[in-house]
Amino acid sequence: MFNRSFSISRLPGFTTIAILVFVMLYLPIAMLVVFSFNSGTSVAIWEGFTLEWYPRAWANEQVKDATIRSLIIASTASVIATIVATMAALATTRRKQTRGQTFVYILINQPLMVPEIVTAVALLIFFASIKVATGYQGLGYLITAHAAFCIPFAYLPIRARLEGMDLTLETAAADLYATPWQTFRYVTLPLVMPGAIAGLMLAFVTSLDDVVITLFVKSAGQDTLPTYMLAQIRRAVTTEVNAISTLLLGLTVIMLTAFFLLTRKRN
Amino acid sequence: MSAQDGVEARNARKVYGTGQEKVVALDNVSIVIKRGEFFTLLGPSGCGKTTLLRLIAGFETPTSGTILLDGTDITYDPPNKRPVNTVFQSYALFPHLTVAQNIGFGLEMRGHAKAEVDSTVEEMLALVRMESMADRKPTQLSGGQQQRVALARALAPQPKVLLLDEPLSALDLKLRKEMQSELKRLQLETGITFIFVTHDQEEALTMSDRIGVMKSGSLLQVGSPREIYTRPADRFVASFIGETNFLTGVLGKDAITLDAGGTLPLGASTQAKSGSKVTASIRPEQIRVIETDAPGSLPATVTESVYFGTDSHCHFALADGTEVVVRLQSPASGDVGLSRGQNVFLRFEPGALMVLEDQA
Ligand SMILES: Nc1ncnc2c1ncn2[C@@H]1O[C@H](COP(=O)(O)OP(=O)(O)OP(=O)(O)O)[C@@H](O)[C@H]1O
Ligand SMILES: [Mg+2]
Repeated sequence: MFNRSFSISRLPGFTTIAILVFVMLYLPIAMLVVFSFNSGTSVAIWEGFTLEWYPRAWANEQVKDATIRSLIIASTASVIATIVATMAALATTRRKQTRGQTFVYILINQPLMVPEIVTAVALLIFFASIKVATGYQGLGYLITAHAAFCIPFAYLPIRARLEGMDLTLETAAADLYATPWQTFRYVTLPLVMPGAIAGLMLAFVTSLDDVVITLFVKSAGQDTLPTYMLAQIRRAVTTEVNAISTLLLGLTVIMLTAFFLLTRKRN
Repeated sequence: MSAQDGVEARNARKVYGTGQEKVVALDNVSIVIKRGEFFTLLGPSGCGKTTLLRLIAGFETPTSGTILLDGTDITYDPPNKRPVNTVFQSYALFPHLTVAQNIGFGLEMRGHAKAEVDSTVEEMLALVRMESMADRKPTQLSGGQQQRVALARALAPQPKVLLLDEPLSALDLKLRKEMQSELKRLQLETGITFIFVTHDQEEALTMSDRIGVMKSGSLLQVGSPREIYTRPADRFVASFIGETNFLTGVLGKDAITLDAGGTLPLGASTQAKSGSKVTASIRPEQIRVIETDAPGSLPATVTESVYFGTDSHCHFALADGTEVVVRLQSPASGDVGLSRGQNVFLRFEPGALMVLEDQA
């Protein structure tokens, strides 16, 4: 059929540029994965296939520690961020636009707009004074910091979900004898759920690979996987790090696929 | 049954917005809808029909006035505390629940036992003939089927009053006719008070026990379809319900001397003063076309004839130029045998000419 509408894919050179972009994005990642199976220690010369780096990485106490710490922080922070984001989305989407609304959006999305390094320094100073005052040195600071910068990532899919929701459904529930709590529990929440799960996963992945804020906020001996890897690479590029990266990559791919499936399913 | 049984609105007034944007959606409406009645609210878009329903359902509270159910003041009861259910125009079925779960929702929220919910759901599915679709999701249903589920869902908790806000407007003509008789059947079988909103006058006439005609926030006339059609209170009601002809004249004793000439008897007595200028109405099907002069007839000239299938609408000009439309049944040939410019006589059926009480 003859179609006049603009389509970027018909511009000359589109295919070439597209391929180039994909190569630039994914070739380094592919190399990382490939070299995690390299039997030599060089990151540039292929010496043969091996799986030894994976058990070797796991046997390393420091890696194990960092992994567990990362998972604890990411899961706690993403759950907190999702709950806060859900409440924020419920409060901001289902009413007429008011003047304060833009301000609230900016407030919620602040971590997306302020340079991460600024947030990091601010948190460092803030937490330092709390540390002095209370003497508490635990993971709480990292969890709080991660939860804070993960909120916008959780908020966006939840808000999208709520905006597409027919408010008459809640009226209908009230009409059918549901108390406000029952309406939330049996109508609003199940309908928001796919958005909330998507938000949870985005927040989890975001927390899992954060470096900048973690570096500033963490106390001694509180390395997460990314900060540990960074420290290792500063000394020498090790194939062990490649193996860990590959595993993290696998986890991220799984999460993002699930996110994609969840957000798509509705239509 | 006591006198206050049913739904009552007393001086219900609803104002939306403030200042410049102030909209008076309902202007001191008072009405009593009896228990077990099929009551229809009819009126043009924006006249406040939905607003009145929302006040009865409890989705809004009136700016002033009272809503009563069986004599009890329910004005400020929340919707979940009222034995009133709504069939929404958009159906508003819960997309994450199956048909059966949708229908059982109301009973479940009221804490009925599972067995009781299940048996009522089955009953309702049978009532709306949807037994085979119990496990489907609403998105897998056609418009008519969704409509039935919405009805079953609202009927399942056995409310005292069922509110239906233009439930048929999204359906095509054939399905609409089907659902009209379906609704009527359900109302008779359940004995529940139905308050039905439409702006389709034919729908209102065929389905209702009584009709309330609304215009810009006010209730103009309440009565049986027959009363509304044959004794419209004013020009607006007369022209909104069916087509009609308006004739001006001077009122005599039980008769009217038309400006177009001739004195014709009136169908019913009127409160207007003898000798005053009045407007009378007569329906297009209450006029006969005859060839020769007879008592009670007026000379007229054919100006146009429009074919409508089962009948034809012929337009005539009276002596003073007043236009009159007459509905004639189409003969087998489809041609009513009137040509433009032809001079004929119009005979008004005795008693069909009505003086409009509201002469404003
Ligand atoms: N939430 C609201 N805020 C402001 N004005 C409103 C609101 N709801 C209704 N109105 C106004 O009140 C008036 C009556 O509205 P209502 O919805 O009752 O009309 P309706 O008779 O149901 O019309 P329709 O046949 O188009 O559904 C309209 O002028 C409408 O614009
Ligand atoms: Mg309406």
